[in-house]
Amino acid sequence: MTLLTIFLMAFITFGTRYLFTHPSLPIRLGPKVAKFLSYSAPAVLTAIWVPIIFVQQGQLNLSITNPYFIAASFAVITAAKSKSIYLTMLAGLITFILSRYILAM
Amino acid sequence: MTVTKRKAVWLMVKKGFLDMLPLNLAVLPWGILCGSLAIQRDFSVLEALLMPLVVFAGSAQLVAIELMANNASLATILFTTFVISSRHFLYGLALRDKLKVLPTKWRYSLGFLLTDELFALSGNSKAFVGKLRLIYALVAGGSFYLFWLLWNVTGIVAGSYLPDLTQLGLDFAIAVTFIALVVPTVTNLPMVITVAVAALLSVLFKLLHFELDLVVAAIIAMYCGYLTDRWQCRRQLSNQSLIASKELSKMKNNGDES
Repeated sequence: MTLLTIFLMAFITFGTRYLFTHPSLPIRLGPKVAKFLSYSAPAVLTAIWVPIIFVQQGQLNLSITNPYFIAASFAVITAAKSKSIYLTMLAGLITFILSRYILAM
Repeated sequence: MTVTKRKAVWLMVKKGFLDMLPLNLAVLPWGILCGSLAIQRDFSVLEALLMPLVVFAGSAQLVAIELMANNASLATILFTTFVISSRHFLYGLALRDKLKVLPTKWRYSLGFLLTDELFALSGNSKAFVGKLRLIYALVAGGSFYLFWLLWNVTGIVAGSYLPDLTQLGLDFAIAVTFIALVVPTVTNLPMVITVAVAALLSVLFKLLHFELDLVVAAIIAMYCGYLTDRWQCRRQLSNQSLIASKELSKMKNNGDES
């Protein structure tokens, strides 16, 4: 049963990724739709990361002692200044670990 | 000639691997979590292995493991998987014109590898155009697949020795990666609007326990970005025509004088 479930899940995850790249689908994207879709990466990725920072256990956490918020702020500044993915991750993770450790004391 | 060609391929392989490397490392905690959680929720080793091998989806794997452990119905599990995966429809659509012209084996393999991470590296207007860029995408996406498998296996092996990892704040690694990917691309007003709307709505929908939170927030945000761009274009056009008509009347006046 679990095996069947896993293979059906695989069918769904592959299907959602592959479907619209299939050539014989009767879909033609005009320049307007293409422009609209050009915003998909920032929109989806932001809609994934922002709730991780501000929503914990279903509760809104806007406190400035929220370690996620402190570390994310550092990461955003580092990303804007350096545009380096490694530097941003390093700055974010170090601030996150430090602020969690300090705030837990 | 062959030497330079081989060199170019090798450079692309290296670039694809190095560009994806930070993302591969960022999902380490998630992969370990997925693997160990499967074992802790009484999945067999084969079942736990098949998750990253064929399902190959972080949040869908995690949620499905919990659902299966709680004996949720098959329909619930599949519907939830569908909802979580539905954002990939946007990726397929956005890349449609580039991928639909490719030979079947490229389409299937890149389609299978089309994760958030690979999509995030596909923003270049020339992505997937030409053999070298396809190799780049294949190496980037393929290395992500292998690393995801590796971290899952680590979790499966260490599974029963690890404490419950769900409370350790491991999700921050994902957040910081996406910050690193998104923030440098926010260079104009439409992008600012897109990101701001996505941020606000995703938090709001999450708090309201709205099932399609991510996708609906993203689509509305994309539309706001699109509208901002149109508004900017129109304003630019009307400014230009204003200047043009001023020039024209000036020329006319000059003509009258002479």
